[in-house]
Amino acid sequence: MEFPDHLRYSREHEWLSLDGSRARVGITDYAQDALGDVVFVQLPEVGAAVAAAVSCAEVESTKSVSDIYAPVGGTIVEVNESLNDAPEQLNQDPYGAGWIFVLEVADPSEADALLDAAAYRQLVEEQ
Amino acid sequence: MAADLALLDEVAGGAAPALRLYQWLPPALSLGRFQPLDDVDTQACARRGVEIVRRPTGGRALLHGGDLTYAVALPRPTGPNGSIESMYHWLARGLVAGLASLGVDAATGRGARAAGPACFSAQQGADLRVGERKLCGSAQVHRNGTVLQHGSVRCRPLEFDETALLRFTSETARATAAGALARSAVTLEELGAASDFPTVARALVTGFEDALGVEFTPSRSRTAPPT
Repeated sequence: MEFPDHLRYSREHEWLSLDGSRARVGITDYAQDALGDVVFVQLPEVGAAVAAAVSCAEVESTKSVSDIYAPVGGTIVEVNESLNDAPEQLNQDPYGAGWIFVLEVADPSEADALLDAAAYRQLVEEQ
Repeated sequence: MAADLALLDEVAGGAAPALRLYQWLPPALSLGRFQPLDDVDTQACARRGVEIVRRPTGGRALLHGGDLTYAVALPRPTGPNGSIESMYHWLARGLVAGLASLGVDAATGRGARAAGPACFSAQQGADLRVGERKLCGSAQVHRNGTVLQHGSVRCRPLEFDETALLRFTSETARATAAGALARSAVTLEELGAASDFPTVARALVTGFEDALGVEFTPSRSRTAPPT
């Protein structure tokens, strides 16, 4: 199971890659494994304001619907439209082609409260 | 369905696990959370007096009327026990135990993905089969650390099935799907087991109580008219 060092992680198993005030978000390798085969992704609306730890997207896998939470607050500025046709990218490449959305982050310091790779690995291993 | 989501919210707020059992009058076709409405022949539903409802859970179209529907809401365990597959297997133990008390030898489904727009045309690990025929279809929604699992135990056949209510490219395709559905699904009545609501409901309550290690307290129906 992969835990890339350059990412930050939420306790709800999303990853975040911060570049200035923009943050790319997806779900972790652990999350995609727990979900099983993803068959549909309900993407957020571009322009939507989201709050940290609040649901902003949904995925369906093995007849189960699960929420995706925003790791930090901000505004959705881009979504991964390719997931509409190929939702399986969440399973195949969760840290790459399976990214879900990009946020214009309201307060980049919110990312400091997220876990680093070592802490997230520990969280997963303790579960 | 709204009452079931309310159960999920109550459990997420700290309430004890809850189980709700119900039947449908008039019959209804429930669609999975993201299933396209285009799958449905809405005129055929109207002609047959079938309502169309949207489930909060995943999966494909399911005709309610001859079934017993259950909804169980409980906190999601942390770690591997909280994975979707684990939750299905855990709750399946309750269903299998309940059905066994009716003399029905059910097992978890074999198969991977849905095939076509009707739930009972295919089986997955979430479902229960008797032999190779599907008796119970289940689906989940995970939210705020809580799981709501919906399921439908096919008790008695109706005069028509899902294929009469869904869109197909041709009548030949519809007939093919109807034949496949008839072969892939089964009812308690066809199995010679008790199929009346009170008996099946009692069996499921006992089965879930044993599997979950809880004792449910009976309460009034949320949908009963005011008295």
